[in-house]
Amino acid sequence: MDIFLQACVNGLLMGGFYSLMGMGQNVIFGVMKIVNFCHGEMLMVGMYLTYVLSTTFSLDPYLCVPLVAIIMFFLGALIQHTLITPSLGTKSFTNLLFLTVGLGLLLSNGALVLFGSEYRTIPTSYQQTFISLGPVNIALPRLISFCVLIVITIVLFAFLKYTTTGKQIRAVSQNPVGAEVVGINTKRIYILTYGIGTALAGIAGALLTGFYTIFPTAGASFGFRALIVVVVGGLGSIPGAFFAGIFLGLLETMVALFVSPSYSDLIVFITFIVILVVRQLIILRRK
Amino acid sequence: MLKVTDLSAGYGAINILWNLNFEIGDGEIVAFLGSNGAGKTTTVRAVTGLIRPSSGSVQFNGQELARKNSRAILDAGIVQVPEGRQLFTDMTVLENLEMGAFNKPTREAFKENLKTVYKWFPKLEERANQSAGTLSGGEQQMVAVARALIGIPKLLILDEPSLGLAPNIVDDILAVATSMAKNDGISVMLVEQDITKALACADRGYVIENGKIALEGTSASLSANEHVKKAYLGI
Repeated sequence: MDIFLQACVNGLLMGGFYSLMGMGQNVIFGVMKIVNFCHGEMLMVGMYLTYVLSTTFSLDPYLCVPLVAIIMFFLGALIQHTLITPSLGTKSFTNLLFLTVGLGLLLSNGALVLFGSEYRTIPTSYQQTFISLGPVNIALPRLISFCVLIVITIVLFAFLKYTTTGKQIRAVSQNPVGAEVVGINTKRIYILTYGIGTALAGIAGALLTGFYTIFPTAGASFGFRALIVVVVGGLGSIPGAFFAGIFLGLLETMVALFVSPSYSDLIVFITFIVILVVRQLIILRRK
Repeated sequence: MLKVTDLSAGYGAINILWNLNFEIGDGEIVAFLGSNGAGKTTTVRAVTGLIRPSSGSVQFNGQELARKNSRAILDAGIVQVPEGRQLFTDMTVLENLEMGAFNKPTREAFKENLKTVYKWFPKLEERANQSAGTLSGGEQQMVAVARALIGIPKLLILDEPSLGLAPNIVDDILAVATSMAKNDGISVMLVEQDITKALACADRGYVIENGKIALEGTSASLSANEHVKKAYLGI
C-alpha cells in the first residue's frame, strides 16, 4: 500500500511535466493548427539555459525559471516571426513538418556542439532532501517543481480565460475568419502563442534541472509524451492536456511498479495506440 | 459617406469584381442583390479590407480606405456581420461581444454600448453567460449583429443575414437594422439573396451580376423592374 501511494505521488509529480508540455503544444496547435515537432527540444534548450545561467551567475536553478521563461518566450516569438509565419501562408503541412523537425535537429545537435555529449547536473544543497508525508517520501526538488507547475498552469488558465489577449487567443483558435472580421491581429496572436508555448516548454526544462540530468537529447522523450498528451487530451484542449498529462505520469509509474520500469515506454505507447483505435471506432460507430 | 469608384478585386490571378461604382449615404439602407457567385461577398471583403482591391477607390467620410488593412477600416467605422456569422462558438455571448470591441475607444465605451445593444436584442442579456454555440440559429445571428454593433459603427454591413433562418427572425433583425438607420443614423449595407425582404426595408439597391453592377435604383423602381421581376422574383 505504501509503495502504491508512493508511486501515485511520483506519477503525479512527473505527470505535471507532461501536462505542461502538452498544454504548450496545445496552445500552439489550437491557434495555428500545426504540430510543433521541436517542442521537446525547446525543453532541452530551457535546461541548458538554466544550466548556463545558474553556473555563470551561481544562481539557484529555481531562481532562473522566470528568466528562462522570458528568454524562451522571445526565442519562440522570433522563430514564429522569421520562420513559421512565412511558412503558414503556403498552407502546406509538409513545409511546417520539415521546418519544426529540422529546427529540433538543429537545436539538439547545436547543443551537442556547444556542450558535448556528457550528462550534466546542477548540484543544489537540497538535492537529496526528502519530505515525509505519512508513508510517502517526496524529494524536495520534485515538490518545488510541481508547486511551480501548478502555479504556472493556474496562471495560464486565468490568462486565457480573463485577459483580453487571452480571449483573443481563444477567438483565433475557434474561428480565424471571425477573428479577422473583428479586427484581431492574427499575426500578433501567432507570435504571442508560439512565444507562450515555447516559454512553457522552457519552464518545464528549467524545473527539471533540479533533479534530472541535462544532455542534448533530453527533450526527445518529453516531446513524444507531449504528443501523446495532446492526442489523448484532445487537440487544442488545454484542460484536456492537463488531465491527460497527469494520467500519463500515473500510468508510467504504475507500470514501473507493477510490471517493470523497462516496460514503461512500451506500455505507454501501447496504451496510446489502444486509445487511438478505440476512439476511432467510437467515432465510426456514431457516424 | 461611402463612395466606391471603379473598384476591382479578386483572389490571386482571378478577378471577380469589375469597376464597381456605388455609394451609401448617412442613415441609408442600401441593398446589394444578386445570385450566388455574383460577387456580393467579394464586394464586402474588398470594402472591409479582407482582400486588397486591385484598383479603384473606397472613400469613407473623405478618407481613402482602398489600400488600408482591415483593422484601419474597422477604426474608420465600417463593421461587418460576415456570412455564416463566424462566431466564437465555445466562448460565451458576452465574450463574443467583448471581442467586437476592437480598439481602445470601443473597449472604454464597452459597458455603455452593451446596454444599448441589449436594448436592441433583449434576449442576449438573458443568454450572456451561455456559450454562443448552444444558441439557436436566430440567436446566433443576433450575437453576430450585436458583436458588430458593440463598436457603434457608422456603416454596418450585413452579409446574407437571412441565411438559414426562420422568416420571422430575419424580420426581427431587419427591423433592428431599420430602426438603427432611421434613429441613430447608422448606414446599412444589406447584402441579400432574399430580394423581397431586402427591398422591403432598403431605401435603394444595386443588382450585381457577374461582378458588375447591372442595375441600380430605388427599392420601388427595382421591385417594378422587369429584369428583376423575371430573374430574381420569378414573376
